[in-house]
Amino acid sequence: MSDLLQAENLQKSFGALQAVREASLRIAPGEIVAIMGRSGSGKTTLLHLLAGLERPTTGQILYRGEDIDRLDEDALALWRRANIGLVFQAFHLIPTLSALENVAFPLYPMRLKAAERHARAEAHLNQVGLADRAQHRPSRMSGGEQQRVAIARALVNNPPLIFADEPTGNLDSTTGDEILTLFKKLRNETGTAFLMITHDDKVAAAADRVLKMVDGILLNEKGQDNEKN
Amino acid sequence: MSLHYLFAELRNRPVRAFTGAFSIAIGVALFVSLQAYADGYRRAARAPLVEVGADLTAQRQGTVPGKFEGVVFPHSTAPIRRHEINQIRKLPGVQAVAEVVFFWSFEPGGFVAGLGLDPSDTFGPGRLKAGVTAGRFLQAGDHGVAVADTTYAQQNKLALGNVVMLGGQSFTIVGLADTSRAGQLANANLYIPLADARTLANAAPQVRSVFDIGPDDANLLFIKADQTRVDQIAAQVKQILGEKAIVSSGQSFAAELGSLFALIDRFGLLVGLIAFLFATALLLRVVASNVWERRRDVAVMRAVGWRRRDVMIQLWGETLVLAIAGGLVGLALAALTTWAMSHTLVTVPVPWELSPSPHFLPGGDGTFAVTVALPARVTPELAAWALGLSVISASLIGLWLPRRISQIHPAEVLSNE
Repeated sequence: MSDLLQAENLQKSFGALQAVREASLRIAPGEIVAIMGRSGSGKTTLLHLLAGLERPTTGQILYRGEDIDRLDEDALALWRRANIGLVFQAFHLIPTLSALENVAFPLYPMRLKAAERHARAEAHLNQVGLADRAQHRPSRMSGGEQQRVAIARALVNNPPLIFADEPTGNLDSTTGDEILTLFKKLRNETGTAFLMITHDDKVAAAADRVLKMVDGILLNEKGQDNEKN
Repeated sequence: MSLHYLFAELRNRPVRAFTGAFSIAIGVALFVSLQAYADGYRRAARAPLVEVGADLTAQRQGTVPGKFEGVVFPHSTAPIRRHEINQIRKLPGVQAVAEVVFFWSFEPGGFVAGLGLDPSDTFGPGRLKAGVTAGRFLQAGDHGVAVADTTYAQQNKLALGNVVMLGGQSFTIVGLADTSRAGQLANANLYIPLADARTLANAAPQVRSVFDIGPDDANLLFIKADQTRVDQIAAQVKQILGEKAIVSSGQSFAAELGSLFALIDRFGLLVGLIAFLFATALLLRVVASNVWERRRDVAVMRAVGWRRRDVMIQLWGETLVLAIAGGLVGLALAALTTWAMSHTLVTVPVPWELSPSPHFLPGGDGTFAVTVALPARVTPELAAWALGLSVISASLIGLWLPRRISQIHPAEVLSNE
């Protein structure tokens, strides 16, 4: 099976600080990959690079064989909208919009009829089990519910790949388990691939493959420089 | 642009939306009210002329006669020659000219201000027709008859049919008229046919002693003119009548309204624009704080696939809606303020030259005045200007700030949150 995403020799520096020193990885369709590491190890920066939110200092990211670094800012935004979903530890929902409107948020700049936008958002909200909370604003929802809304938002364009940065970091253990179960269910139902950043062993256990990040270097499960072995 | 998101933002952040819209509303209200106030005063200043249906009056500074006996010309007037009147009639933009002879008559029984007019004129003192309270007005072909001012008639116990003497000639009173309805210009006690007034003037030794008067001359003209060319016509009339010309228009009456009006007239636009600039600055602050507070939202927009221009148009739309809403509220406030203003009275003094009475008589140095309700109003043009200004300023703010904020790097903001 051809890779969905392939990153080669990624490096990212912020001035003198080398946040990502050496990272290469491949993600296959429907695969769940976890990247573990301590705080400050460069996990989140790596996720931002892979999601096109940051540009690497050196290295290459190929999505289905296309180098995303060649895209300008607006083209990258369109690429994200069509191909990836993002789930954040802090949920990052729009506080003035209802759950349903938050799910539909990526669709707003698209020229879709309101009814179609509504139907798509409703379907994905239903997929995460929150159909009955559609009109609630984030401030009236629990952390777990907010994260489900964020996941539905990430799914609304049916992307083949979802990046999740500490998806259970702000949730209690039970709710965290529910989110992981949801990820697996989605993978099984839709073939969506997940790349999760975590330092929670429980989350890592839910992954097909676990990579470690140490001081900006991405290692495989065996503690070796990933992709070199 | 998502209108749904736009209105959700405005609806769910009411304090911010209200502050933004209200700042523009105050600016628009101040700007429009000041312009309406100044415009109202300008219109009020024209009231004395409007009441007689004229746009200009023209006369020539005269000479004080050696004696105040019989018929004399007030020294604010001098004969205007027939050829000069014809020249004025032919000026482009002049629609009609009503010529009158204004005079004082010192009779054994007392002082009389008299005015000779053509009763067929529909403007100028001819408007007195509508002010007749008893009897009739002068008619074409009349001779030896007069219409008396009601107040003068009461003071002198004159009634219809009574005979009064002017310059040695008798005039029968055929009507009484309320002269306060004629703009207080060339206010007289007795109104007689123009031909009779010319005869009196030509026969008066004290007129002939200072003037070489012709049988068809007048000494005061009421001119009806194209509104858009009034200033130009005033200049041309002055040129025809020479250096002693006294030409009065709405502008010259405005000069009588005092320093407050002069200040508003001169600086009203400037003060209004400054108020508007303050309002725009306040809106800028509101929008700036809005986009700063929403940096995280903007980062999310970019992260989930909004292009920079999508973000920019969205935030611009919000600013524009605030400006339009504020502009409309401001116009409503201005309309309310203007309505309140229109209930105040403005007294427009009539310069002595235009309604002269002898200084040496009791009350002779008093001035006449016309009192009108301030005709302030918000015109469609003014409203369009104010709304246009608010939309333009909001557009500039709404493009500049969001343009900057749309360039943020989502990763930086989302990492720090």
